[in-house]
Amino acid sequence: MFSKFETWYRDRHDYAKSWKEKTGGKVFGCFCSYVPEEILVAADILPVRVLGNHQPQDVTEPHLFGMFCPFCRDVLAQGLKGRYEYLDGITIAQSCIHLRQAYNSWENHVPSSFTYYLPHPMSVQTPAAVPYLKKELDNFREAVEKFIGKELTTADLDRGIQVLNENRAAMHELYSYRKGSNPQVTGLEAMWVTVSSMWIDKEEHTAELKRVLAELDSRTVERETGARLMFVGSENDDTDFIRMVESVGATVVVDDHCTGTRYFWNETPIMDDRMEALSKRYVERPACPAKDHVARTRFPHILQLARDFDAQGVILIQQKFCDPHEADMVPLRSYLEENGLPCLFLEFDVTVPLGPFRIRTEAFLEMIGEEDLF
Amino acid sequence: MITVGIDAGAKNIKITFLKDGEVIATGISPSGFDQNAASEALMNETLAKVGLTHSDVDVICSTGAGRKVVPGAKHVLTEVSAMARGSLFLRPDVRTVIDVGAEEGRAIRCNEAGKVEDFAVNEKCAAGSGAFTEAMARALEVSLEELGKLSLTSSASVPMNAQCAVFAESEVISLLHASTPKQDIAKAIHDAIASRIMSMCRRVGINPAIMLVGGVARNVGFVQSLRTAMEEEVFVPDNPEFVGSLGAALIAADREVETATA
Repeated sequence: MFSKFETWYRDRHDYAKSWKEKTGGKVFGCFCSYVPEEILVAADILPVRVLGNHQPQDVTEPHLFGMFCPFCRDVLAQGLKGRYEYLDGITIAQSCIHLRQAYNSWENHVPSSFTYYLPHPMSVQTPAAVPYLKKELDNFREAVEKFIGKELTTADLDRGIQVLNENRAAMHELYSYRKGSNPQVTGLEAMWVTVSSMWIDKEEHTAELKRVLAELDSRTVERETGARLMFVGSENDDTDFIRMVESVGATVVVDDHCTGTRYFWNETPIMDDRMEALSKRYVERPACPAKDHVARTRFPHILQLARDFDAQGVILIQQKFCDPHEADMVPLRSYLEENGLPCLFLEFDVTVPLGPFRIRTEAFLEMIGEEDLF
Repeated sequence: MITVGIDAGAKNIKITFLKDGEVIATGISPSGFDQNAASEALMNETLAKVGLTHSDVDVICSTGAGRKVVPGAKHVLTEVSAMARGSLFLRPDVRTVIDVGAEEGRAIRCNEAGKVEDFAVNEKCAAGSGAFTEAMARALEVSLEELGKLSLTSSASVPMNAQCAVFAESEVISLLHASTPKQDIAKAIHDAIASRIMSMCRRVGINPAIMLVGGVARNVGFVQSLRTAMEEEVFVPDNPEFVGSLGAALIAADREVETATA
């Protein structure tokens, strides 16, 4: 049922190349989920999220500090090794300094006809955040207009907003099938769908997703649900890990990742001023911990997700050296445990040690399922 | 009822036969390359030792790194659950279990109801494990047993980094070149491992009573260093390497009773 998404997930570069060939359009690499894809879609540009490929590499050492996260390292390696050679442009919205360094090195060492660093407010909780970002989005829009050689009309922006919002609504519907006592969608399948939505033409992705959604009600689920788990943390597109977790007596029912719910959770509101609407969407979306201050708004949001999807435990996934998530992990763990959600903390690297992680996951599941001895 | 717990560890396989809550036999053999065959051979050998046959055994429960290849295991458990169960059987007031095996170190926190509340396992590093002591004993050119005893004869405090077994080995060699007495280096090695284990324990929280299990609990030097670092009594059972297989045999019995009464 989800084979198309699995193929899209696996053959991401083949898809982008054939899309280019078929449409003659331009493809931009996006370094962060805060990039306003609506503006790119309005300009008929295909946005593709730049992710790593979880393979060891030896090319990033001169570019990144040793204590920068493995994700930014893996991302930069893709550029330096020429795996995204089909890109016509790259852009990043400011979130963390590690990924920005990967972007800067890419910009300096991989030829590209369009590069754009989009300043994005780090203090999204201040009243100035929306007007500030609106102005920055205006600048970004102008740069994109210059690149394509024409102005974007309100109708173009409306199309961009509608295409993204339709995809987000379909994603919400998909996730609703994970709420039931016997989820009709596994965490692995949801990951194929969510992550592939970050590089597949959104209209094509939505159409395929709607086809699957129409069949989900009649889907017979033969696997045991086991323990219902939530994943929380840094960027995570590791299908080998989630497959392993779901093979040892668990189902991942929801997540808080920038490659998961944080990417699609809120829609762009309908407003007369489209640029202000976009600004509100990207300021008010579920926050990356890099931007979630002074108040930690993520915590109650994550707890609510866990409750809405009836999660019994949480696997906290942190990319090694990811400072924003590292700063959140200790209070987040305490907060979740105080609210009755046991947690397992795992530190991710470019490659994941599946054997040791399997033992930890199984022990965690035994711990959740254990009854009193005395 | 006779239940059997098999702890297929990274270096050794341990087996415990339990009859109505009493240990009637134990056995140990190297894991080798084929844990399946080694488990089967150890099972047959231990059966012969107590004059039993396969048909006398009600149920087998496996644990340890090779738990999934143990033949005939009805139940398969992680070391965390097995070590906790075995330790609580030996001392019901245990709240912190420290298990140091050949390749892994673990800290387990239990509550008053005997449930595992949290646990931590050493990350991609052998510094808090038996493999580390073996490497250091080689560098000092002493046996493992001598390493522990040597350590007890020293009262010096030589700082040593146990973040990485390779770097630690080069530190040991530097200390030897600096004519540091062997016993002081031996103590520095055990202090360093104890420090690694303490870090892991602090992550899960330390509550007395504390029990140390696993093969490395046989190392008297390490036990002394851990007791000093812990500033608490650390209990070591008589046969610390069999606590995992004991726990597995106990859980097998628990589950049989549950099934019978369900």
